[in-house]
Amino acid sequence: MASLISCPHCGVRPKEEFSIRGDATPVRPAPMASDEAWNDYVHVRANPRGRIREHWQHVAGCRRWLVVERDNFTHEVFSVTDAAAARGGAR
Amino acid sequence: MAYDYQAVHVLDGTIGAVPGQRANHLAVHRATAIAVVLAAPGHGAEAAGILVADGAFEARFCGPGEWLVLSEVHAPETLVAELAIRLGAFAFVVDQSHGRVALTLSGPDAARILANGIAVDLHPEAFAVGRAATMLCNHLSVNLARTGIDRFDLVVMRSFAEALVADLKVMARSHDLSVDFATR
Repeated sequence: MASLISCPHCGVRPKEEFSIRGDATPVRPAPMASDEAWNDYVHVRANPRGRIREHWQHVAGCRRWLVVERDNFTHEVFSVTDAAAARGGAR
Repeated sequence: MAYDYQAVHVLDGTIGAVPGQRANHLAVHRATAIAVVLAAPGHGAEAAGILVADGAFEARFCGPGEWLVLSEVHAPETLVAELAIRLGAFAFVVDQSHGRVALTLSGPDAARILANGIAVDLHPEAFAVGRAATMLCNHLSVNLARTGIDRFDLVVMRSFAEALVADLKVMARSHDLSVDFATR
């Protein structure tokens, strides 16, 4: 169930501890990319049904940004990873 | 001009003490030395090792590479300096002695009382003695540490302390709870 999220740092937590920012799939364009590319990145979002990747922040816990892969129809959670780790960052 | 500074605890006069020593007791600590330690990037293991090795510090996990450090040995005025000397360039230290309030809930129903507001499994096998984590208690973010089977330490932001004590009283309504400042 999506109401329980397994934070990689804190363990299983209720969704009330998190704040959801939105789609984690768009990739930030280069600073001098075209206006169309920036417009797509900032404003244009698909609204798919099924398996999605989202940025969640564990505001009431470790305060880390996480990438949650879940199904918005069945509420099944497939994976929760630290956003920095997903990018190959430190820690 | 001379100022007469007085150390007044945030809960002085508002604690609504339930005196006595009942089966379960909530003790509010008057002056606890608290600091936040954030490991420098890539130095989490070194910082953790230094904190664990020194018995004067009680490090409580609150995020990856981040700990709330409490101390019974060092005074609030000196804790940051003591930590900074030992941690050196491995971590950043910020004093929280006046920014947070520490409370201790103890008694046979302690886990049951907390379960009325905390949605984390507090069974000793799931949340063992010595573990700590930041979690939501009703609407407040609280750092909870299990210091014994029937004993929990809560560290909360100072401005939320009054609300947390009020919440804990409500959570303990069907249990026998006394509330007072800790005497040390």
